[in-house]
Parts: sequence; structure tokens; C-alpha cells
Amino acid sequence: MAVPREARLAALKGQIAALEAGTRTPSPVLAFGNPAIDGCFPGGGLPSGCWHEVMGAGLEDETSAAPAAFVALLTRPLLKAGAVVWVMRRTDLFAPGLAGFGFPTGRLIQVKARDEAEVLSVLEDALSTVGVAAAIGEAEAPELKAGRRLQLACEKRGSFGVLLHRRPYGGPAGRAQTVSGSSSFSRWRIAGAPSQPPPDGPGLGSPRWRVELERCRGGRSGAWVLESSEAEHGPHPFRLVSQLADHDLAAAEPGLRRAG
Amino acid sequence: MALVPDLVTADHDPQADRAALEALSDWCVRFSPAVAIDGDDGLFLDITGTDHLWGGEAAMLADLLARLKRWGVPARAAIADTPGAAWALARFGEDGEIAPPGGQRALLADLPVAALRLDEMATAQLPRLGLFRIAQLLGLPRAQLARRFGLHLTLRLDQALGAAGEALVFRRPANPWFDRLAFAEPISAPDDLARVVGDVTALICRRLEAEGQGARRFEVVFHRLDGRAMPVRAGLARPGRDAKRLTRLLLPKLDVIDPGFGIEVVTVFAGDVEPLTAVQARLDAEAGTGLDETLAPLVDRLINRLGDNRVWRADPHESHVPERSVIRRAPLASPPGQTWDRERPRPVRLFKRPEAITAMAKLPDDPPVQFHWRGRPHRVRRAEGPERIGQEWWRGDFDDTGPGRIRDYYRVEDEAGGRFWIFRQGLFGTGEEPKWWIHGLFG
Repeated sequence: MAVPREARLAALKGQIAALEAGTRTPSPVLAFGNPAIDGCFPGGGLPSGCWHEVMGAGLEDETSAAPAAFVALLTRPLLKAGAVVWVMRRTDLFAPGLAGFGFPTGRLIQVKARDEAEVLSVLEDALSTVGVAAAIGEAEAPELKAGRRLQLACEKRGSFGVLLHRRPYGGPAGRAQTVSGSSSFSRWRIAGAPSQPPPDGPGLGSPRWRVELERCRGGRSGAWVLESSEAEHGPHPFRLVSQLADHDLAAAEPGLRRAG
Repeated sequence: MALVPDLVTADHDPQADRAALEALSDWCVRFSPAVAIDGDDGLFLDITGTDHLWGGEAAMLADLLARLKRWGVPARAAIADTPGAAWALARFGEDGEIAPPGGQRALLADLPVAALRLDEMATAQLPRLGLFRIAQLLGLPRAQLARRFGLHLTLRLDQALGAAGEALVFRRPANPWFDRLAFAEPISAPDDLARVVGDVTALICRRLEAEGQGARRFEVVFHRLDGRAMPVRAGLARPGRDAKRLTRLLLPKLDVIDPGFGIEVVTVFAGDVEPLTAVQARLDAEAGTGLDETLAPLVDRLINRLGDNRVWRADPHESHVPERSVIRRAPLASPPGQTWDRERPRPVRLFKRPEAITAMAKLPDDPPVQFHWRGRPHRVRRAEGPERIGQEWWRGDFDDTGPGRIRDYYRVEDEAGGRFWIFRQGLFGTGEEPKWWIHGLFG
């Protein structure tokens, strides 16, 4: 026991990371700018060259408004250069609303696909194109194989892929979320959270979300309440409002999950 | 002027006349693709093989004249075997005359010699010699006529009667961006078709490159042995002439081609041709290329696969009605000048049709305290508004845009943190009870 246990563990983790990365160069990460969140990811932020799953909680499962707003804010720092492709089946995405979050709608290419398979194949095509910084698709949970293909497409150019889980209108509720394995880097669940009203007078404050990081490859899960911050206020689109109970505990005791 | 005090005079404007005639000739393409402009005031239409679309020459001529009359274009027309005879009959014969095939000689006989499109000298000279009618000329020996008035007279005579040919300069020349490949043996194997697409696009792309042009539309047509033609099309977001890329766009569409007994000719046509400066094949793969250049292949692939209307960019449109404030543009069109007003919050998801909700409001102009949407109650925690949006009155009837159509939008947040965009349609006290709707969701 000459070598302490911690050091051996770190060395082992390094070896595994090297195996996973293969010949790839480490990709830049998208940081939240807060150690409480960034500490959950192995590289200090969400890496490009991977795809991420975002789903809505409750009714948002079908309307998918809070997840869309979250994704628009999340990808905003990536879009300084490069276009973003948004693939969907229902065209209710409203560009003025995205523009309100500082999202560059002038570089947003919207694509309406005919079915699930087409969403995934267009997403794959967009992710492997030079000049596309991020590609976002709205679909139900993809199969494992489709997920692998998305991952390969992301790795090709190091682009940032997002899959918004969205149940089709009138479809059966709660069915889509049962796919267990996935090759995505992380999985998020987004719900709206009550905003803090401005101190002087009526109206709504900056939008807030209850953000749960359900799964993260090589990292920890977590849950937070985040608030959007204006594009002028620094590089990070989110401001941490409060940290919710530890996610593992919360999952074990459903009563605690409503505490936020 | 003293005799006709209300006479309106206008200067002769040859250029405007010409422009109008050209516009008219372009319009006439609906009757026949071959339209030629004749002099200052005439049009020739080669209607060979097109009259049956109107159910005969008489019906076609009547349609043409009726349309021109409706527009106030005074016109006379005639149909004959030869341009010369038609010219003469339209100007000197009965209006709307149709010469039966081979029957122009009898009809022309009574017309004055001016109907022969002669030069000025001959037109003046002939009546002085007592030759007023074409019938008189026809009776004279040709050799003497030619010696006295030149070969021009006999040529015009022959052209009118059909004994000599006449070349017309049609306004729409055949498209120069056209190429074809013919095969000694008809082909039908899918591999052959794929190879031929590559060959024929390479053919047209080489020509485009030699002339410094690029095209945005390409059409490859497969002509079958039995005369059926089957086109496949590809469009580009920006003009191009890369045969390999084009072939990649065209190949997935080949499965609709049914070769039947075989394909003997393949033609290719390039449309929307515009100058394209030669670009250097880049030394560095990433740097130095614009965003458009790297994105254009992706946009092309998507448009050719999904269709034109399924790939777009949302641009601002000057309208305060939310559903009209966005206009769809081509993804690589030039960037818009204006942006949406950031001061007016707009939802991330806007429903195609607002959904009816039942709402309870304390006071007429207050936001609701509670509403039901999709069978669930939402207790409103905070609200913002109203933002009053009227319909655009210049668009429709008063009923569609009147006070009953005014919308008062509120941005409300329920206790769970959902943010909704709801509106009340109509005003209190106008008789009709206002209705509540939900129009979108803020994230």
C-alpha cells in the first residue's frame, strides 16, 4: 500500500479517459461558469463532439417549451461562429421568442422532417457538416443504434448535438422515456420554476428553470434552479439560483423532489 | 387643332412602343413557344402543333383577339400557311381571316400590292404602271417582273405563296445551357443510368466552367424509346457547377425512373445561370471560407431531399400581429436588416391556432386569477400586461378586424412555474362576451 488509494484511482481514471478518447483531441467544453455545476462534468463543462438529451417534465413532455428555451440558452455561447440547425416535426418554434434570449436567429436553419427517422438522419447530416456549431432535433427517444450514429456524427466535426425528447401531439403519455441505455453524454430534465418578481412593482422576473442533470457519462448528477442572465452580462447564459437536494437522495425519496 | 379642340396628342415614343411590343410577345408565349417580332407593329406566332390545345385554329384566334381586346390592344390577326400570307391577310384582308391549307393564292389575289411587304420604291412604282392588285402581278411573266423590280419582288411573292422559305427570328432562342448524350444501344440498367447522370452533368458543368457561369437549377431528362420523357431535378442554394456534387444530389432520385424498353437519349438543362467567379481550390480546409460556402452543400442536400418548403430561416416581418411577424426565407438569403423588438416578450412556442381556455378574472381588464387549459387548472401567480394588439384593419372586412377582434395579451406565470401567453379577445361592454385563448408558451 505504498501508493495511496486516491492516487491509484486517479491514475486508473486517467487510463480509462485515454482509452475512451482514442486518437481524438480533447474537445472544448461548454462551462456554466459555476463550480457547483461544472464540477459534475469530468472535463469541467459539457464537451462538444457529443450529443445530449433534454427532456421536459410533466406537460412539457409534449409542449416542450421550457426545454427549448433551456437549449437555446445553453447553446448560445457556441453560436458566436457557425450556424445552428433545428430539426422538428411540428413547426411551433417561434423565432422572436428565441431572439428574446439572445439566440442568433439569423443563423438558425429550421427543418421540418416528415417522421422520426428523418429527424435523426437530418440531425446526423447536420452534425457532420463543417460550419454547423450545433444541431438540435426534436424526436422521441431514439434507439440505441440511432444514438450511436449521432455520436459518430458529432465526433466527426466536434459539433454539439442536442436531442429534445418530445412526445407527438396527442401521443400516449409517459411511453417515450423508458429507453434505458443511450450513448448520449448527458441527460437533462427541465421544468419551469417560479420566477423572482422584480422588487419594485408587478410583472414577471427573469425566467427560471428547475434543471436536473439525470445522467452524465463519467460525472455526477445534480439538480439546480437556474435563471437566465442577459447576453450582455458575461459569457455564461445561466445564473445559479439555488442548489436542490442531492439528486441521488431526491431520486430515492420522491417526496423530496417536489421541494424545489 | 381648331377643328378638333378636344384632340389629345402625344409624342411618338419608339422605344416605349418597342418595349410594349416585346412585353406582348413574351405574353404570346402562352399560345406558342415560337414568337417573332415583326417590324414596329407586328408579331408572328408559329402555331404549328399548338392549335389543337384550343380546339382548332378558329377558336385559338378568337381567344387571342378577345384577350387583346379586353386589354384595349387594337389588333388584327390572320392565320395562313406562310408568314407572308398571314402578314398580308392581317393587314389588308378581313380581320380574323383563316386561310385554308394551300388556299392563300385565292385570298391574296384581291389584295393590293402593298400587302406583299415590298420596299418603298416598288410599292410606289407598281400602281403607277397600273398594277394595283396581286392578281395582276401573278398574271405577269416572272422574268420581266424580276428584271424591272429586282429579285426582291419575286422573292416576296414566292414567300407569300409558299414557294420560298422564310426564316423568322424567334424572340426566345433555344436555351444554350442544354446538352445531350445519345446512345448507340438503349440503356436500362440502374448502374448505367447512374453513370450517365455523372457523364451528362460533367458535360454541362465543363461548359459552364469554360464560360465562367454557374447555375442553380439542373434538370436531367431521360427519353425512353417509346417517346416518354422522365425528368429528375436538383436545385442549388447558390450557383454552382460541381458535377460531382450535382451527381450526388441527383442519384437518390433515380429510383423513380422506369426505363421501360430502354433509354436512348439523356438531356441536361441548366437554369438560372449567372456568372460565377472562379474560386481557388482552397489550401486550408477550414480557414478562409465563408459560412455560406460550407453550409451550402448541407442546405442543398436537405432541400433536394425534403423539398423547398421544409427548410427555412425565420426572418422578421413588419407586422405587430404575432403570427404574421415571422416570414420564411431561404436559409442562405442575405441577412435581414431589422430585428424583432426585444422589449416585447414573445413565447418560444407559438401555437398554430390559439387554444380556447376558460378563465376567471376579477375585474374586466384584469388578468385572470385562474384558468383551465387542456383539462388542468392553473392558478396564476404573477401576470404582466396587457399588451393590446389589434388586427390589421387594412387587410379584410371590418368584421374581421373590428373591436371584436382586439386582443389583450397577458404573460402569466402559474404556481408551478409555467409561463403562458394568453389573450382576451374582444372588449367588455360591447354586447358579446370576450373569450380567452392561450397562444403560446414561454420557456
